[in-house]
Amino acid sequence: MLHVENLKVRYGAITAVHDVSLEVKEGELVALIGVNGAGKTTTLSAIAGVVKTVSGSIYFEGQSIVGKSPEAILKLGVAVVPEQRDIFPSLTVEENLHMGAFSRHNHREYLADLKETFILFPILEERFQQLGGTLSGGEQQQLAIARSIMAHPKLLVLDEPSLGLAPKIVDQIFSLIVTLRTRGSTILLVEQNVNRTLDIADRVYLINNGRVEIQGTPDQLRSQGAIKDIYLGK
Amino acid sequence: MKKANLTHWFSSYSTIIILTVPMLIMAGLTDLFAGSLLIRIVTALFVSMVVVLGMQVFMGNSGILAWAHVGFMGIGAYISSICSMTPTTKEIAIPQIYPFLLNLHFSFIPSLLVGALVAVVIAAIISYPLMRLSDTTAAISSFALLIIINTVLIHWDKVTNGPRTLFGIEELTTVWTAVFSAILILIFAYLFKESSLGLKLRASRDDYHAAQAMGINITQVRYYSFVIGAGIASFGGGLFAHYITSFTPSAFYMAETFNILTMLVVGGTMGVSGAVIGTIVVTFAREGLRAVENFINLNHVLPFDVVGLTEVLLATALILILIFRPEGILGGREFRWMPKKSAKKKIEEPASVQVNE
Repeated sequence: MLHVENLKVRYGAITAVHDVSLEVKEGELVALIGVNGAGKTTTLSAIAGVVKTVSGSIYFEGQSIVGKSPEAILKLGVAVVPEQRDIFPSLTVEENLHMGAFSRHNHREYLADLKETFILFPILEERFQQLGGTLSGGEQQQLAIARSIMAHPKLLVLDEPSLGLAPKIVDQIFSLIVTLRTRGSTILLVEQNVNRTLDIADRVYLINNGRVEIQGTPDQLRSQGAIKDIYLGK
Repeated sequence: MKKANLTHWFSSYSTIIILTVPMLIMAGLTDLFAGSLLIRIVTALFVSMVVVLGMQVFMGNSGILAWAHVGFMGIGAYISSICSMTPTTKEIAIPQIYPFLLNLHFSFIPSLLVGALVAVVIAAIISYPLMRLSDTTAAISSFALLIIINTVLIHWDKVTNGPRTLFGIEELTTVWTAVFSAILILIFAYLFKESSLGLKLRASRDDYHAAQAMGINITQVRYYSFVIGAGIASFGGGLFAHYITSFTPSAFYMAETFNILTMLVVGGTMGVSGAVIGTIVVTFAREGLRAVENFINLNHVLPFDVVGLTEVLLATALILILIFRPEGILGGREFRWMPKKSAKKKIEEPASVQVNE
């Protein structure tokens, strides 16, 4: 579904991503892990069309999306939930969810999606008329994910959904990701929480210094022991 | 369930009724009982409200400081005046006028609409590149636009009579035309805010990048609202011209920008209710302070004359509001009739609508 080959991204003089190749197949839950500054978020930004690439190619469903605008990429079916959650604090939960549904104009479908959302995220039903900014961190994260799902993306990209959340809430978010996965969503997940990620992912790419260091199934990565080397130093 | 739906609908539009009924009462009472001075004040209030609402449409929803707004008010004032004046008056008032403008002569409302239309066209032509800018750069470029418009108004003798006073405009703006214009624009501004365009714009105000990630073309939604806001400002400018009946280009510059901006900021930029309340509060505060200032000076209450007390106190009040209530008196909230029912029941509405279908 998504093919990234030899991606290189530069911010001015600093090369954030040197050479990243990865693949996400339909129905998979693929994770990118790595320390701070490894280039995970930059890779996602390149996929989402927010930053320009220097070289390399990105294909989504066989179509090159390099150089396309973020709007165009979203319309093709790639929805990114950014690291900072980025919900709209002065809009109500309802309006926030509505934002995700703009690509779909049918009101009946919108209501059906809303009902679906309330099953997955019961807390949002309770907070429906509240302003987004008044929600707790975990609730905001749920809202951000729910909003992306409203657009029916073919590929859901989650950038560090557990960042800054209490351990109990992190549990909720991870089990939510598993639920989404079993319901058939294709997910590309970026995480720092390595153990939790290895528990749920189908395949994992470990990125270090802007390159893919290791890739494989969680079991393969665990057995190689390379994770410790990268996270703790050799 | 139908009833719940209706209640929901009524609750969302109650803002319009809650705001317009007191405005109508105010206009009615003024017309019946007030003396000429108060009628002038209340008429000016509703004229200002039109311009403030126009500014709210752009600035309130996009979060971008709009300096150029009053420039478009000026364009509307001049164009509508040229349209409504008789050729004979025009020959005296603007001696160098272009011949094709000389013979233009419309009645009041069409003149206002032509003024608004001209501003819309000008805004549509020049503003698109500006909408790509955010924050400080957007504010400064918008300020530069105000300077450009003002300079053109001052020097285009053949249209505006240059820096000299333009006089001879008929006084056609009554308290009733002003209040109905304000109500019309208020309804429009509220519907705009709640429309999908308004929602997209408010989202871009909250978080530029997230809104972009949702697939919103921010430059475009800003552009539409800027052009609409310019049209409303220009319409308000036309009302102003036919209220004040003589003015110079300096009427549409810094002082008026500050005046309009204060009204919007005091009430709260993010809501239509804020624009309405801000206009009322600032208008009466100014008139009250002016009366006090005059009283002090005429009766020699103090050993010296106080000059500019009104302006200084109003500016101080603005600073205090920005410090203690940066989101304005209403903080962006709207007056809204809330049905008395449990929070739980309200939430079930969308789901129950779904079941019906």
